[in-house]
Amino acid sequence: MYAYLSRRLLATIPVLFAVLLLVFSMLHLVPGDPVKLMLSEFQTSPEQIALLRSQLHFDDPLPVQFGRYVVNALHGDLGYSIRSKRPVTTEIAENLPSTLQLAVAGLFVAILVGVVLGIISAVKHHTWFDAGAMSIALLGVSMPSFWLGLLLIFLFSLRFRLFPATGGGDWQHLVLPALTLGLASAAIVARLTRSSMLEVMGREYITTARAKGVKEHSVILGHGLRNALIPLITIIGLQFGQLLAGAVIVETVFSRPGIGRLIVDAILNKDFPVVQGVVLVVATSYVVVNLLVDLVYGVADPRIRHG
Amino acid sequence: MRLTYRAVLVALFVLALAVAACAQTPAAPSGGAQASAPTTASGSAQSSAPTAASSGAAAPKEAAKAAAPQKGGTLTIGLDSEPPTLDPHASPSAVSFYITNQACESLLYLDENRQLKPWLAESWDVSDGGKTFTFKLRKDVKFQDGTPFNAQAVKWNLDRIVNPNYKAGSALTYLTGFDKAEVVDDNTIKISFKNPYAPFLTNAAGGPLAMISPTGTPKQGDQVNKTPICTGPYKIDEWVAKDHATLSRWDDYNRQLPYASQSGPGFADKIVFKFVPENGTRMAAAESGEIQVAAAVPSQDLPRFESNSAYTVVKKPWVGTPRYWALNVTKPPTDDVKVRQAINYAVDKDAILNTLYKGIGTKGFAPLAASMMDDPTLRAYYPYNVDKAKQLLDEAGWKPGADGVRVKNGQRLEILLNDIDQGSGPQQIDVLLQGQLRNIGADVKLKTQARAPWYEDNYRCATNGPVLFLRSGDPDALTSLFASANVGSNFNFTCLKDPEIDKMLDQGRAESDPTKRKDIYMTLQKKLLDGAYMVPLADELSVWAEGQGVSGLAFDGFTYPIVTRMAGAK
Repeated sequence: MYAYLSRRLLATIPVLFAVLLLVFSMLHLVPGDPVKLMLSEFQTSPEQIALLRSQLHFDDPLPVQFGRYVVNALHGDLGYSIRSKRPVTTEIAENLPSTLQLAVAGLFVAILVGVVLGIISAVKHHTWFDAGAMSIALLGVSMPSFWLGLLLIFLFSLRFRLFPATGGGDWQHLVLPALTLGLASAAIVARLTRSSMLEVMGREYITTARAKGVKEHSVILGHGLRNALIPLITIIGLQFGQLLAGAVIVETVFSRPGIGRLIVDAILNKDFPVVQGVVLVVATSYVVVNLLVDLVYGVADPRIRHG
Repeated sequence: MRLTYRAVLVALFVLALAVAACAQTPAAPSGGAQASAPTTASGSAQSSAPTAASSGAAAPKEAAKAAAPQKGGTLTIGLDSEPPTLDPHASPSAVSFYITNQACESLLYLDENRQLKPWLAESWDVSDGGKTFTFKLRKDVKFQDGTPFNAQAVKWNLDRIVNPNYKAGSALTYLTGFDKAEVVDDNTIKISFKNPYAPFLTNAAGGPLAMISPTGTPKQGDQVNKTPICTGPYKIDEWVAKDHATLSRWDDYNRQLPYASQSGPGFADKIVFKFVPENGTRMAAAESGEIQVAAAVPSQDLPRFESNSAYTVVKKPWVGTPRYWALNVTKPPTDDVKVRQAINYAVDKDAILNTLYKGIGTKGFAPLAASMMDDPTLRAYYPYNVDKAKQLLDEAGWKPGADGVRVKNGQRLEILLNDIDQGSGPQQIDVLLQGQLRNIGADVKLKTQARAPWYEDNYRCATNGPVLFLRSGDPDALTSLFASANVGSNFNFTCLKDPEIDKMLDQGRAESDPTKRKDIYMTLQKKLLDGAYMVPLADELSVWAEGQGVSGLAFDGFTYPIVTRMAGAK
């Protein structure tokens, strides 16, 4: 187990290195002089451009610049935001908790709604509930989240005045964004749970369990769901990445603080150090989540052993 | 699958709900209201404020209307973007000053008729041929941390901005050619420039040159980006990134604000600025009462808010330039003045206003917006006249070709418009121009690209020009747009290098007599129109909605909001 863990951890190093390289080259792949582009909203003199160029070490050869970037990143120094002039790590640290909160709440919605709908659909296979639930799931998958967000704002903020439309803060501010973010994933989770459950519920051990007189809800949850979990865990892990990506849109629609909005603003303002930093953090969390998913396999299915 | 009618009903209900909501859900912004160029304010002066609001625009609410509002409450304002910093000296963005102008004060004040008034300075004097400015300061001013405001404080502020180790924003541009600040006595400061710099007086009234505490700021460190310490009627308490900034009334403020009818502190207990970039969400928040004032009302929401008696829509013309098409004079076919003039005649501005702006713009007609300078002779240039346009192209040798596009020496009349893609495809205004010029046999090609290469092409004069605008409180903005020195940088995208125009720009910058200065810019504008270096399209309006029981939104001469005389919601 520990050998497996350390092997997996070692394997993340080249992945993160590749991410660093990609993120670093972004800046240099964009056409034009990065310094001029960074300053394009300011009226600048050639001296100011030269000063910034040397401050950012853009005069050095690219490999030297990359080496410096990697060393600094390892020390937790991701540079300074061009726009706010504050450290990128500070900006990310300020915004990350809000996004994690949103992603976890979204995941909660996705799992709760998705698994419940999926199980009921599978159990009540070929009924109007199944058809209705799967139609809603289809709608959920096809519905763009910015549109769903505006819809929820219209209904729950404007019509019923139940939840605020904007901002971060207490739990009321989290409800609509989490629903928006979670429902699309819920639809996917529901469809997968349903098909996975349908397959499992047709197996012989389910018939055996029923024959032994096990109560129906134990058959469904204990024997059915338990065995249907593996593909579900995989997809939930992947969905977590989707949720981070979805946060970009949801945070913009609901004006919530978060790294999604941080990166959108940074891209629009050509704030490259911030873009680099956020991409790095998101990529890292994606790698970490995938690792966690692999570890959870073992817990869910004792037949899978990490040796 | 047994699909019963109930399942169908459920699905239909969900769909119907969705469609119904969609019909009323505010849509994405129209191209007409998007910024395709930075909103840098370059300089600002013109104390003789020659112009009133442009025609057609609804009259802005006057501060006087808020004569006897109830005090107290929390005033919540939804802004369409977030400031990069609240340090007034570091910010290049207008939105920073929307907030800091409620809390910070400058030496002078530029009122909405573009007249200069005393603020932290009681009086001022220009000497040494426009190079030296002497300000007599008020003696009764303290910073919010108790530090007295005096000539040393002004010197400290200016030296902070020009310090090469400090990353200044617009403030540095506001001090172009700064030489030194000298303390004459405790309440007199003398500020000198290397060259005559008339725009400085209006700059001194701008938010970027607001005064912050010389003792408190160094102790603050990075916190100055969030809660600068100023002298004004509100204190900035906190700024939560991507969410909001909160200001609270500073009850020790006992002076009379230059725009107020009586002395004393602000009205609302608290002012909260929420950052809500998504248009639909911001307008929904206004309707639900989450915010009482909304900035940047998009054109498609305008009719709904205008017809709703619970809201007042306030429209204020922006200062600076209209949104205009810069025509590159170095690249054929726009290197020919007749072609440029033909384009000017062929553009149907009314069609642009009616289809895109729908009430958030008025007709553009000159290099400077009507809010800066208005004159019938400027308005008389280039009325919409397709026949005249065709005649000019005929004269220039462009004859109708087989496919409807004109031809000269085997070359088709192709015009390459540099089109910025902000994430939603080509700018709608550029597409309209493309269609309109088709009528005179010109084939406009859009080079649609992201912001970075868009800038790069402008620097390299690689296209026939982009559509852009510049917000600025001073006619000296024209230096950025037309001086030879700014070809290849910001923002002379016409690539024009004309010594005569350079000379006039320098004269305008040096002349401190308001009347003479106006004459210079009048002559200059006519010269720019004669050469047809640009196509003025639309003077844009800053559009706000106020409602939910609050009123009294006012504006200064930079088209920035003033909300210190508004009471909040209870």
